[in-house]
Amino acid sequence: MSDIIRRDPRAEWIIRNRLHPLHDQYVSQEEGGEIRGPSGIIRKFPHKVGFIGPNGVKRIDRLKGNAASATGKRSSATQEVQLPLHQISSPEFYVVVVPDLVGGRLTSHDKDILGLAHKLISEHGGQGAVAALCFGEVKEEHFDLAGVDRLIHLNDPAFDGYAPEARVQALAYVDTQLTVKHWLFPDSVHGGADLGSRLAAKLGERPATQAWQVTAEQVVCRGASSSLDISRAMPRIAMLLEECGDAIDETRHEASSIEFADIPLLEGHIVDKGLMDVDPNAIPLAEAEFILSAGNGIHNWDQFHQAAATLGATEGASRVAVDDGFMPRIRQVGATGTWVTARVYIAVGISGAIQHMQGIGQVDKVVAINTDAGCDMVKRAALSVIGDSEEILSELMALVNAHRNQASSESEENSHAA
Amino acid sequence: MVIDWLPSVLIVALLALGVIGALRRVNLWRAGQPEKVNLIAGLLAMPNRYLKDLHHVVERDKYMSRTHVATGGGFVLSMVLVLVVHVFNVQERIVAWALLGALALMLIGAFFVFKRRLNPPERLSKGPWMRLPKSLITFAVTFIVLTLPAAGILPEGTGGVVLIVVLSIGIVIGLGELLFGMGWGGPMKHAFAGALHLAFHRRPERFGGGRSTGLKPANLEGAVIGVAKPSDFKWNQLLGFDACVQCGKCQAMCPAFAAGQPLNPKKLIQDMVVGLAGGTDANYAGSPYPGKEIGNAKGSPTEVITAGLVSQETLWSCTTCRACVEECPMMIEHVDAIVDMRRFLTMEKGETPNKGSEVLENIIATDNPGGYAPGSRTNWAADQNLAVMKEKKEADVLFWVSDGAFDMRSQRILRAFVKLMKHANVDVAILGDEERDSGDVARRLGDDATFQSLAKRNLATLGQYKFKKIVTTDPHAYHCLRNEYADFDANGALEGVEVLHHTTFLNQLVQSGALKLDAFKGGKVTYHDPCYLGRYNGEYEAPRELLRSLGIEIAEMERSGFRSRCCGGGGGAPITDIPGERRIADMRMEDVTETGAELVAVGCQQCTAMLEGVVEPRPEVKDISEILVGQLVEEVH
Amino acid sequence: MPHKIISLISVGRHPQSGRARRSDQDGRAVELGLKLSGSQLEVVHAGDSEEPVLRQYAGMGLAEITILEQDQSMDAVASLSTYLASRDADIVLTGVRSESGESSGMVPYILAEALGWPLVARVADIVEIKDGTAEVLLALPRGQRRAATVKLPFIATIDSAAQEARQSAYGPGLRANMVAQSGANELDELRANWSEAPAKPRPKRLKMVKAKTAADRFKAATAKPAGGSGKVMKNESTEEKAQAIFDLLIEEKVIR
Repeated sequence: MSDIIRRDPRAEWIIRNRLHPLHDQYVSQEEGGEIRGPSGIIRKFPHKVGFIGPNGVKRIDRLKGNAASATGKRSSATQEVQLPLHQISSPEFYVVVVPDLVGGRLTSHDKDILGLAHKLISEHGGQGAVAALCFGEVKEEHFDLAGVDRLIHLNDPAFDGYAPEARVQALAYVDTQLTVKHWLFPDSVHGGADLGSRLAAKLGERPATQAWQVTAEQVVCRGASSSLDISRAMPRIAMLLEECGDAIDETRHEASSIEFADIPLLEGHIVDKGLMDVDPNAIPLAEAEFILSAGNGIHNWDQFHQAAATLGATEGASRVAVDDGFMPRIRQVGATGTWVTARVYIAVGISGAIQHMQGIGQVDKVVAINTDAGCDMVKRAALSVIGDSEEILSELMALVNAHRNQASSESEENSHAA
Repeated sequence: MVIDWLPSVLIVALLALGVIGALRRVNLWRAGQPEKVNLIAGLLAMPNRYLKDLHHVVERDKYMSRTHVATGGGFVLSMVLVLVVHVFNVQERIVAWALLGALALMLIGAFFVFKRRLNPPERLSKGPWMRLPKSLITFAVTFIVLTLPAAGILPEGTGGVVLIVVLSIGIVIGLGELLFGMGWGGPMKHAFAGALHLAFHRRPERFGGGRSTGLKPANLEGAVIGVAKPSDFKWNQLLGFDACVQCGKCQAMCPAFAAGQPLNPKKLIQDMVVGLAGGTDANYAGSPYPGKEIGNAKGSPTEVITAGLVSQETLWSCTTCRACVEECPMMIEHVDAIVDMRRFLTMEKGETPNKGSEVLENIIATDNPGGYAPGSRTNWAADQNLAVMKEKKEADVLFWVSDGAFDMRSQRILRAFVKLMKHANVDVAILGDEERDSGDVARRLGDDATFQSLAKRNLATLGQYKFKKIVTTDPHAYHCLRNEYADFDANGALEGVEVLHHTTFLNQLVQSGALKLDAFKGGKVTYHDPCYLGRYNGEYEAPRELLRSLGIEIAEMERSGFRSRCCGGGGGAPITDIPGERRIADMRMEDVTETGAELVAVGCQQCTAMLEGVVEPRPEVKDISEILVGQLVEEVH
Repeated sequence: MPHKIISLISVGRHPQSGRARRSDQDGRAVELGLKLSGSQLEVVHAGDSEEPVLRQYAGMGLAEITILEQDQSMDAVASLSTYLASRDADIVLTGVRSESGESSGMVPYILAEALGWPLVARVADIVEIKDGTAEVLLALPRGQRRAATVKLPFIATIDSAAQEARQSAYGPGLRANMVAQSGANELDELRANWSEAPAKPRPKRLKMVKAKTAADRFKAATAKPAGGSGKVMKNESTEEKAQAIFDLLIEEKVIR
């Protein structure tokens, strides 16, 4: 049902007008009272019966109006539900989760692990708390809803950027300060696996890696490039795969912070020189996130390259475009070229030979720009626009440029305001 | 007279020089690797091979065949008689007349050679070859004049010293070309090397109407695998290169050359000659490799070929379509040489270009070029209810599915063929997941180690079961099974087994009445001969008969049958993907379009894929089994 | 002075066929080693010297491979750390994670800890080695890169984004020298207590619907799954079409 609150002007008018023949009926309906049907039988208006309880479940009020009246408008307005607060006043032990915090926010992988941490605590029994240990800049606002009982935020500049040596020292220090039953890391390419391995090596523990079935006693890990399930006792340190547990969604948590001052750090051997500016076209096609791909329907190649540059997309091509010499062979997408994994794939003037479709099988969203509405690419696409690609691309570039200009001027304003 | 003796001395001297040159040449060939050849039997068979097999090829060009018979025949005859008359001084008039006759024949021939050379087609080499007709005419005229007195037409001593001197110059020019040049690498080398090449040919099965197309196994134990240097070729391969007459028929037929890829079979063979003799290609006077200049190639018998003589792209441009071999009047084996050199690049240097290394790695790790899970090989047949040999153990027909099992387009062909077999109640089974890639691609890409391993493992699997026939829809697998597996079949897994292409098999079914088909009602149809079915296996007729049985009158392309143009899909060419100016498949589709056909029938999944890769609008492409399935008469129950 | 570089190799496993093969990342580690030190590269394997896969590595042009002979159930770390400690290397290259066995990816970390060397993970390339420090490029997801410098000697794990391993040639592989020496025989005791089984397919998490009302539950059960044929814009103006694409790009956050 739509959440938009809609007025019913006629009903409002009838309720205001006491002389209206239907006045009584509407008023009683508004109050949840009885309604007489055309034949005089009392009818219940089912949508008006009951209300949404504090945990979001609908309740039918048998006290007829003694409770708070249901919302009067023809809508089911969403209730701002206050979830119950889960409190641990003095934890006996901790399960520490070191989330990836990609872009400063918890990923769904992180949230799954936080959920799993709570499951582990309940299996162990006793007063355990889930602590999230975060480094550097944090933008996440809902640690409480993700199941974080304690938040350890280490904001020393030494931990910024790529600082695995400093970070692992901090983890080892925290290990000496708290009773940590488990260290949980996401087994991910975002740094979780690296940090977990470093801590394990430092503490001399044999961690569970690529774990996906976890209980307090036993853990099942993937091995031998995901062809083997290794069952073993749950160690102190575990690196967990995605979807290893269920994220917290029915409770709130304190997310109260634990401060650690003056963590002793030794000088590291690795110096971060920052992120590189990577030309989208230097990204291997198979890895690229956003691909603008050209086919036989492209006539203005200069414009195509310009469009790819403007959009910041990696260039791809159909076999025909490559054969005709407009694009190098390494740009070919398809069964005989590269199998791509992009999230967004814009196919310009590609009708979609079967080999090409095989190559984009893993793409999330396909956008087709084509003159032929009946081609296979249009059938595959989430969004298809039928028309001249040259016009559409130039229009699209204009939009993106406008967006960029606006964004940059806004950020300037913000910086002025600050 | 004082200098009467001069002509005879000149003749003997030039003959001796020619023989010395020839011995030197023989020595160059002997730098090659040993290969067992029955020398006596070869020499004995040589005249017959020349007159029948070679002439059969030359006969395709009537003008040239007659010219050559006149010139060559006339020359051989007159040369013998010249020795009789002018060296051994036999004074019989009849012999002199015979010599005159032979010389006249040769003169006529030489005249036509001259005429051809006035405005030579592009494929012919120029340079020394342009001088050849003049030398031939000089020789004939000189000896006619020289013989006139012996024949009694002119009195002895006519013309005096001046004439003798003039004639001596003629002898030096004529015999210098024909005898001295023969031994020392002039154009006439072809006669001497060619004759020996025919005698000691590496594939004697080709003579007398036979066919020998399977590649020879590489020796995997040697210090070098494949051919790195000219001296790594077998000695009779080197001899074969020397037989080349630079007629350029190979060049005219080569699809890669036509597509502007850097390959010209004629130039390649000439570069091999440069390699075996040492030197540069500066004297080469024919068409270059497209996009490459002449004069930069140099080599010697002990230098690595790809280090300056021939570029790697040249070797990888070949589609192994065998059009050059089929066309070569000297029966030179270009494809063998190319694959030998590829073997070195792949197995010694690890330099298979583009997707080659990936494909080979896939074949090694998964037994199929696409790198698909071996256990998913039979997924296409999930709904086909096909018997699997592992359970059935015995069947009339073993259906070799080939790697088309992994490709969605090829699966349509497979399903069509299965439907036809079901219809004809054929007792058929497949190997299922036990089947492996036939090794065709690996072998053409030069990885004979992988091919041999696949062949041996496939044969071991085949040896477990009983069947009378193997039928496959893939001409490449067909070729391997039929012609190349025998070298590794120690246990006789394929002994007494008939290997058939599906068009041959279907044709048998149709002719025997097991398959009932409606007449085809579509538009004009043409047929594309797959190289590995036609030239490699000689099957031109069955697919055509099948189409005719549907009432189709085939609109033949200009290049069809043994002259069919490759689709560009063979020899791993789409994998190594050497850039050219055009695509071979596009040219083939133009051939199709010229016939006005709306449908092109094909008997190969690779050809289907290549031709369908041509941008629309274009005629429809269908495998013959797909066409047949559409015309099946469904019996009403 | 050329730097001493050692690449560690293991027996890989093809993801589709499960057959032993040259491991992808280890192959890249050898490739990077060849780039940095050419024929000076030392390649080390802990395991069986008869293993045919080693020939695939050797086919990359290695004259010899050093093998620390040991049984499969033995701990490779013990052999390797003893060996590396004796070799005085500048850089040790490994894959991030082996393709067979436990594939925990811990070997380089334990070696680094044992040798007291720094470790850089997921290296895409080593750009330059100068004055005892190396400039490395680290691979981040989606083709992004981070530059860093690290002091020699160090261990680097090589990411799949590094230069692909060159083709393995059959002939040189066949002729390469396998130099075997006995490795440490320390039984991996912890692992002996584990049970191993072929991987069970993981259930894909369904879209969890914690429906509050019957109507929501009904909708969740019956609603057509997302996807199917997409939106087709045919007669709209060019501006509208472009806007629709632009909106999608913004929504997918590929344009920021």
